[in-house]
Amino acid sequence: MHDFSKLQEAVLAGNSAAAVAAARQALSEGADPLDLVLHGISPAMAEVGRLFEAGDYFVPELLISARATKEVFVLIRPLLAKQGAQPTGRVVLGTVQGDLHDIGKNLVAALLEGGGFEVIDLGVSVSPEKFIAAVADKKAQIVGLSALLTTTLPAMKTTLDAFRSAGLRDRVKVMIGGAPVTQSFADTIGADGYGENAASAVQLARRLVGV
Amino acid sequence: MNSDDPLATESFQQLVVEPRLPEVLRFLGYPKGVFPPDPMKQSIEQVLTRALPGLEPRGTFSIYAVRAHTRRSLALGSETIAGNIGEFLHGASRVAVLVVTAGRGITELSTEAWGAGDSLAGWAFDAIGSWAAEAAADALTQQISSHLGADEGLTLRYSPGYCGMDLSQQRTIFGLTRPGSIGVSLLPSLLMQPMKSVSGLVGLGPRELVGVNLSPCDRCLQIGCHMRR
Ligand code: B1M
Repeated sequence: MHDFSKLQEAVLAGNSAAAVAAARQALSEGADPLDLVLHGISPAMAEVGRLFEAGDYFVPELLISARATKEVFVLIRPLLAKQGAQPTGRVVLGTVQGDLHDIGKNLVAALLEGGGFEVIDLGVSVSPEKFIAAVADKKAQIVGLSALLTTTLPAMKTTLDAFRSAGLRDRVKVMIGGAPVTQSFADTIGADGYGENAASAVQLARRLVGV
Repeated sequence: MNSDDPLATESFQQLVVEPRLPEVLRFLGYPKGVFPPDPMKQSIEQVLTRALPGLEPRGTFSIYAVRAHTRRSLALGSETIAGNIGEFLHGASRVAVLVVTAGRGITELSTEAWGAGDSLAGWAFDAIGSWAAEAAADALTQQISSHLGADEGLTLRYSPGYCGMDLSQQRTIFGLTRPGSIGVSLLPSLLMQPMKSVSGLVGLGPRELVGVNLSPCDRCLQIGCHMRR
């Protein structure tokens, strides 16, 4: 098995250039791209998540580690595709209709990408129809809804209801999050999961796609 | 003057806010007293320098005599505000209704940075915008204090959406002052635009009745909030 410690150190330090250089070197030495993900990047990002949970890393550190990982994925995704390997999962993400809060959803997107997910970010104030069209078009396994205020939470239920009416509810997992969202709200509207923060959103997404 | 009219209304197109790194770091998610090591600290400082021209801190307030109040309501001008705010501001003889904004430029900088793949700068611009909105509210509160008489003081500042007032009271607040004069509007979802805006109430009254040393966070149920004071 290849030694991925240099790559892992670079990811932990959030050093994109060093991470890409270490990944290039590993590949030139014959490392398998899938091994690089499973034994290089994934354990490093798991450690980043652990450090965040433990209060040793904060959002900025999470973001630069996720960016480093994302850049490594840019390098290896074509190689993975050649081997027939798929992204960890495909997520359609957006802030619900009537709500303009961008940043929570952006953080979730950045960490999902760092976790190997392909993210289709629809932006803010996204209508149910737009979510439905994107899920159908991109064949996403997960749709992620974000909101800032209690006044925009009802739009999450409206979106879920629209998926039910379109007969698509069983074809996609729904995860939700945002400051006013709770697990009990997620249960009430019938979402498949609630992420308290961006790091737990990645764990949830992995669970939802069965990784 | 009609008895429902405000006693005073003022708008400020250029409030003075002075960024201090420790405060900005809290909005970035660092706990009080925690400083990131270099080069992270340098990166954040650089974003802060780039952010300053993007800040347009503006504010407006109208001061009303309290017409009536109960524990669960407060009557100002032609409006009645519902919620525990009646109890929170019980010592105030007048109340300033305020709206401030850090402007839309800082959110645009954040969006651009995210779009360009610079998530750290995107996050930092956003955090600076949040800090600037709070700082603008502090600066406006300072202006309100020039309306205090001898032996008078200000209450804490309370905002709709926290436990003293439901978010629906945003409409009442917007009816009592002139947010249009500083470019702030209220969407049907009750979100203010630009995003980095704050609305609220602050009471003016005899110092012995309003001078409480509470933090608004003592009244808030968001126990896990990283901004808890
Ligand atoms: C798809 O799956 C997923 C999974 C996880 C997901 C997800 C999707 N989406 C999000 N997540 C999760 O992961 C993300 C990353 O970890 C997280 O996303 P967040 O979006 O939650 O987190 C961001 C990355 C960072 N967090 C934030 O940006 C919000 C932090 C807190 C402290 C906060 C801030 C900073 C601000 N605010 Co205010 N603000 C609060 C917040 C309290 C809190 N602790 O959350 C909240 C959201 N605000 C509140 C209020 C009331 C308000 N704020 C206001 C203003 C402001 C500031 C301008 C000062 C500032 C910036 C606001 C902004 N949106 O840009 C006003 C509204 C502004 C507007 N434009 O209308 C105002 C209405 C107050 C007023 N009257 O002025 C409260 C809402 C309560 C409610 N009833 O809904 C609030 C919960 C505070 C509280 N203590 O009650 C998770 O939620």
